[in-house]
Amino acid sequence: MKLTILQEKLKEGLSIVEKISLKSLTLPILNNILISAEKNFLNLSSTDLEIGINWWSLSKIEEEGKITIPSKLFSNFINLLPNKKINIKTKNNDILIECENYFTQIKGLSSDEFPIIPNIKKNEFISLKSSIFCQSLNQIVDIPLLSNSRPEISGIYFLFQKNAITMVSTDSFRLGEKKIIFKNEQKLTNNYSLILPQKTAKEIINIFNTKDRDLNIYLSSNQIMFETLMTETNYPEIQVVSKLIEGEYPDYKEIIPLKYNTQIILNKDEFLNRLRISGLFTGKTNEVKIKTNLNKNELEIFNQNKDIGEYNSKLPVKIMGENIEVCFNYKFLIDGISNIKSSEIILELNGDDGPAILKPVGDDTYIYVVMPIKSD
Amino acid sequence: MFTNEELWQSVLAQIQLNISKASFSTWFKNTYIISQRDNKVTVSVPNSFVKEWLEKKYNKEILKILHNLDSEIKDIEFCVGKENLKTINNKKLILDLSEENQLDFQEFKINKETNLNPRYTFESFVVGPFNELPHAAAVAVSNDPGLIYNPLFIYGGVGLGKTHLLQAIGNEVIKNFPDKKIKYISSEKFTSEVVNSIKNHEMNQFKSKYKNIDVLIIDDIQFLSGKEKTQEEFFHIFNVLYENNKQIILSSDRPPKTIQALTERLRSRFEGGMIADISIPDFETRVAILKLKSQLKGVLFSEEIYQYIASIIQKNIRELEGALNRIIMYQKINNQPINLEMVKNILKNITSSPNKIITPKKIIETVADFYDLKEKDILNNSRKKEIVKPRQIAMYLLREDLKSSFPFIGRKFNGKDHTTAIHSYKKISEEIKENKNLEEEINLIREKLLNS
Repeated sequence: MKLTILQEKLKEGLSIVEKISLKSLTLPILNNILISAEKNFLNLSSTDLEIGINWWSLSKIEEEGKITIPSKLFSNFINLLPNKKINIKTKNNDILIECENYFTQIKGLSSDEFPIIPNIKKNEFISLKSSIFCQSLNQIVDIPLLSNSRPEISGIYFLFQKNAITMVSTDSFRLGEKKIIFKNEQKLTNNYSLILPQKTAKEIINIFNTKDRDLNIYLSSNQIMFETLMTETNYPEIQVVSKLIEGEYPDYKEIIPLKYNTQIILNKDEFLNRLRISGLFTGKTNEVKIKTNLNKNELEIFNQNKDIGEYNSKLPVKIMGENIEVCFNYKFLIDGISNIKSSEIILELNGDDGPAILKPVGDDTYIYVVMPIKSD
Repeated sequence: MFTNEELWQSVLAQIQLNISKASFSTWFKNTYIISQRDNKVTVSVPNSFVKEWLEKKYNKEILKILHNLDSEIKDIEFCVGKENLKTINNKKLILDLSEENQLDFQEFKINKETNLNPRYTFESFVVGPFNELPHAAAVAVSNDPGLIYNPLFIYGGVGLGKTHLLQAIGNEVIKNFPDKKIKYISSEKFTSEVVNSIKNHEMNQFKSKYKNIDVLIIDDIQFLSGKEKTQEEFFHIFNVLYENNKQIILSSDRPPKTIQALTERLRSRFEGGMIADISIPDFETRVAILKLKSQLKGVLFSEEIYQYIASIIQKNIRELEGALNRIIMYQKINNQPINLEMVKNILKNITSSPNKIITPKKIIETVADFYDLKEKDILNNSRKKEIVKPRQIAMYLLREDLKSSFPFIGRKFNGKDHTTAIHSYKKISEEIKENKNLEEEINLIREKLLNS
């Protein structure tokens, strides 16, 4: 193998593939990345056997070939090089790197033992702007908890339809649902639902968030692939293949209440700030109480802790329905609210033991359901 | 001819000689043969990575080994199967204090097909003299559904464990007979299903869905009272299931005889099997329940504390648990061991609550509600039999429980004469002595009064 590439380009590729290759203990070769030179492209691959990432770049290839190399060492090294042309050559199982006045030799391993990243049939797919997809996913990606006992709710549930993507996540105390509505219909022949591991979802956000490209999502029975193409030529630039979580997602729609006893419309930043202050006074329990005052159109936010002190604040709001006093984990409220983009939010309550809803004013694509804390 | 298992074992035995231990455990873990058909062996693998790898790297080698073992085998195929039995991990998430009372989405815990909550089992059900019979019947039914007590009808007051027992039967049947189809449903939900099926013209689907069930459990059947169309549908389903020896289990807060507005043919069917009642737990059982519950929650209190709680809360196991939770919470927040004095203090509000103020209005309301009448029906002068009796019972309760004077009672009932009140009181007092059902009805009304 013999090729030439710009340092900046190689650095970018490594930053995309290296992350998942760092953590494998079972099979030592998974700590390596696979470098292959074929036709006019340099290809970097890494996998942890759940996710596989491929990255391609146009590069001057003088001799085709492939080799694997420890990802951490290679990427740290490339990062420190100046932004100049890099010449890469292989000699047996070693890799020789030349950049301006730097001459380096790193020990690699034969590519024969490197896992093959599965191929996915490109029959069923949808396409949308990667930034939109990532920002939407980001609104709910932190909710699930890794749990062995309930693997199906440890991931993100997706429903792909011709005119919308719905994504849902929960940790059984709260639940977030986000929808992306398409103006133009996608070419799907069917509706598909699947559960994506949270780890993949986070990786996808890291990789594609900053890019403003078309993201193609290919669906198959137990795999999913995310792909963007190069801007220069019609060839894949990044492909992320991931396994899916088996099992059936619970019927989450049953959880979202259709009615409310009390509806409050309030300023997001004001409420958020008051909740953050209340967090200072919760101690271990994380409890914050909120109490409505219909006559004064006021919301009282307060809590007290024997060892720390007391906190009480009032916020002018719009209230409809019944007066109520209810207790929440303030962190759960903050999580839901900080993912709302509008300046005003709607809080709907169903008594002190029923699910509450948080949603933006004038946008029905995001909804956050949270259960109260029971107070005696 | 080898069995699938033997065949694959010998493949694995030979393969492992040629590759490193790490590769072997990475690529061959959780693989197994699912079928040998038409000279072709199908191997299930846990994910697509393994599939690609085995296809590209080990296909030849595996096929060679297989062919040596059984010369018929000509081809091999890999498919991504369901993961081999997921290890069931009962370890709960470590919940910190804040999550003790954090409510969660109960719906997620419930099995979608059967509607059962796995939390309810026989193991966590405390048996005492007050519920020995229903428990024994429930265990018998779960070992032999459809054949001994059919239908099984369990009744008893609020918070005494009817739902627990019913669901425990369902969960036990799943354990004993994994193939049986079980359905747990509340009668309210059943009613709304009937209504929806009528609305959407899906009655046939509805019926066939229920007729395929092996064990049907309906909770709080008293709510069918007055819903005639639902009763009719239920009657048909009941008959089909019963004739096919499918188990039916019902619960109610009162015996079938005293459920108002229930068609005679249903009533007689309910009474055709086994009727068992759960009464109020005795003191020893209450202590035992408290001990079990605190054990489950991983805390221990002194004997005198258990006894104290059991002595003040007598009629409702749910309240018993509530009191216990309150003490546990108190202990955690204050981080100090609890003594009897503190318990008395914490439970002060509970102890005072049984003496709820019962007003004449409330009695009339409750009686009317119990007999499915309107309040004004009871208060007016109608002499219809179905109204006269409830009216007399209401008067009796006003006298007996509130010690109201007869003229006062008369005035409450649309200005009737005090002699009418005296007559009513005497009549009911005497009838109670002879008629056990009436006594039971009146006790149920009293219970409702306390719980409302």
